[in-house]
Amino acid sequence: MSRSVRRSLGVVLGAAILVGAASCGGGGFEGEGSSGGSTGTVRMLVNITPNLTKGYWEELVKPFEDANPGVDVKIEAPTGQGVKDTLPQLLAAGNAPDVVETLMADKTLAPQMLELTDQAWTKDTPLAEQAALDGKVYTVGVGQQAQSLVFYNKDAFAKAGITAPPKTLDEMTAAMAKLKAAGYLPLQTAGDYVTGLQLLQLSDPSIASAHPDWYQKVAGKELTVGKTMQPLLERYQSWIKNGYVDKNALGLDDVNAQTNFLSGKSAMYIMGSWFVRTAEEAKPKFDLSVFPAPTETGQPSPGPQGVTMAAPYMVLKSTQQRDLSLKLVQYLVTDQKAVQSQLAQDGNFRKGFTEGLTPLGQEVQAILDQAPKHVAQGEGYGATTLPQGFNGEWNKAVQSLYTGKSAQDVATRIDSWMGSKS
Amino acid sequence: MSATAAATRLRDRLTTASMVGPALLLFVVMLVVPVCLSVYLSLTDWNGYSANPALVGLRNYFDLARSEEAIRAGWVTLVIAGVGTILLSVLGLGFALLVNGASRLNSIFRVVLFYPHVLSALVVGFLWSAVLGTSGVVNGFLTTRGAEVLPFLSNPTWALATLIGVLVWAGFGVNVVLYLAGLQTISKDLLEAARIDGASPRQTFLNVTLPALAPVVTVNLVLSLVSLLKTYDLVVSLTGGGPAGSTQTAAYLILWDSFHNNALGFGSAQSVVLMLVTGGLALTVARLRSRADQGVKG
Repeated sequence: MSRSVRRSLGVVLGAAILVGAASCGGGGFEGEGSSGGSTGTVRMLVNITPNLTKGYWEELVKPFEDANPGVDVKIEAPTGQGVKDTLPQLLAAGNAPDVVETLMADKTLAPQMLELTDQAWTKDTPLAEQAALDGKVYTVGVGQQAQSLVFYNKDAFAKAGITAPPKTLDEMTAAMAKLKAAGYLPLQTAGDYVTGLQLLQLSDPSIASAHPDWYQKVAGKELTVGKTMQPLLERYQSWIKNGYVDKNALGLDDVNAQTNFLSGKSAMYIMGSWFVRTAEEAKPKFDLSVFPAPTETGQPSPGPQGVTMAAPYMVLKSTQQRDLSLKLVQYLVTDQKAVQSQLAQDGNFRKGFTEGLTPLGQEVQAILDQAPKHVAQGEGYGATTLPQGFNGEWNKAVQSLYTGKSAQDVATRIDSWMGSKS
Repeated sequence: MSATAAATRLRDRLTTASMVGPALLLFVVMLVVPVCLSVYLSLTDWNGYSANPALVGLRNYFDLARSEEAIRAGWVTLVIAGVGTILLSVLGLGFALLVNGASRLNSIFRVVLFYPHVLSALVVGFLWSAVLGTSGVVNGFLTTRGAEVLPFLSNPTWALATLIGVLVWAGFGVNVVLYLAGLQTISKDLLEAARIDGASPRQTFLNVTLPALAPVVTVNLVLSLVSLLKTYDLVVSLTGGGPAGSTQTAAYLILWDSFHNNALGFGSAQSVVLMLVTGGLALTVARLRSRADQGVKG
């Protein structure tokens, strides 16, 4: 290679490094935005699922567009696996949307989002205060998703001689023995994200009863996740050993697990309230019902219910259509019809919105209403959060109970991970 | 230098530049810039959102060296790449020899062998999970006959073996095609001469066919190794990295850390290490093969 060619390549390479460094280090994707006009386009990045199709979202915002001539709400689907990985890509490309649905503000996201604290209408939206960061509201939602629910096959319970749903974890374990003797797989679980999620959902009422400020205590190192969870992990290990859950469950995905439960092979399925819609659409041939996750012996039942915000919305700080974006989000979380539609579409719940609830939906609403308290779940939200990535790490740790690790091993692993994040 | 000669030289240079320029520009934009950007990001704490990520020096690399999960993913990746490359090469060559003759039946076999490669890895994963999952076709068949369920996807060792098996199933069509192309280039005179000299089929294969295929073997080994070291999409659709993280590959973990855990700086450090390991291994294989080829020629 001649000297001149080498020099030219050096210049090109240097320029490339500078361009690269400047493009990511120099900023450019954190603007302050502007209030915008009364007409124009508002881009909204949303979650797309079999229930929440692009067509559904377009129908949902149509009344808003009709009421605001000259306004076009552009629904954008994630280009990556989901909203969570698509938003950073759009931000880095300088192509951020105006409104984002699905994510909730944490310390990473909050600096990019518009503070909504001074918007009076946010006060009446579910969990807005609980999800606030340092007292500042960034996220507003449509409803609540109940998390600590056990869906069950009433016919299987009757056949096994169980007359009432268990209220404590000891009663639940005893019921599992009877269900197994009656020929059912007592508790349905699966691999993927399901294993860890179910155990978190099951643990919420007991942990919140024993430690009302558990998240703060974990953050302050007064408690560790592993030590708090170890009794439940030991119980779960005994369930695996006794065949109360399928030892090969990790080879199932969530859809197959749901099919097993809804076809009557298994007697119980722990899942969030979004399962109501799936369960009802499957039209099971048995009497399907739901009870709140049991608590530890000696604790009041029902215990606090784990809840998450349903259909959360945020407005990006960089929006050039701030007024219209705020107006759109206000419409989505306060308009009676828009709220009702979103609640029905994805199995979500909100006090005062009981119209059109199915019998199973009414049972879930009653559980939410009767719960003495609503508490954060998993990684949590607002001030009650665990380090990002906790849910995934917890899931892997719980799955290792199936691969021969002990409850003590799992507790140590999760505490070691938590330690590495502090 | 006369004016005419200078003009000719300038014209030649412009012609060269016009031909090299577009390719060089593409190379820089599509390869050099992203690589440089990854290296830069690996030295920051970028979370994917902040406009001004802070430089943290080599902290991400030290964290990576201490991360049990990343080390485990590295070993899983090396096992997949090592075992997979050997299987792909051996099976690829075996099937290429089987369908080497010119007949209508062989043409059909070639299409059948190549077909899995046409499918998207995501589709392949979903397909095989429906076949091998706990309530899949195979286990359904076994349970109706009172047999135990086989833990293809629920036991860590089985799941890794299943993943490698499916990767090989999906990928060996390319190896077959490359080996077939190599086999077509072997002189018929050489094979005929070996036959007249009384060489057995085994001796002919070892002393004539295999040495002649040496360059194709190198290409296949390097291509298979590089592609297997980047295994990602099949992990997503077949095992989801489970059970208990036992089939998490380096590429899967990079995406997981980068986007699920919002640790793009750390994810970039993993990318840089994966790139260096891949490049190093590919060069080593190519170098070793080159020496072996020279040994054969010498």
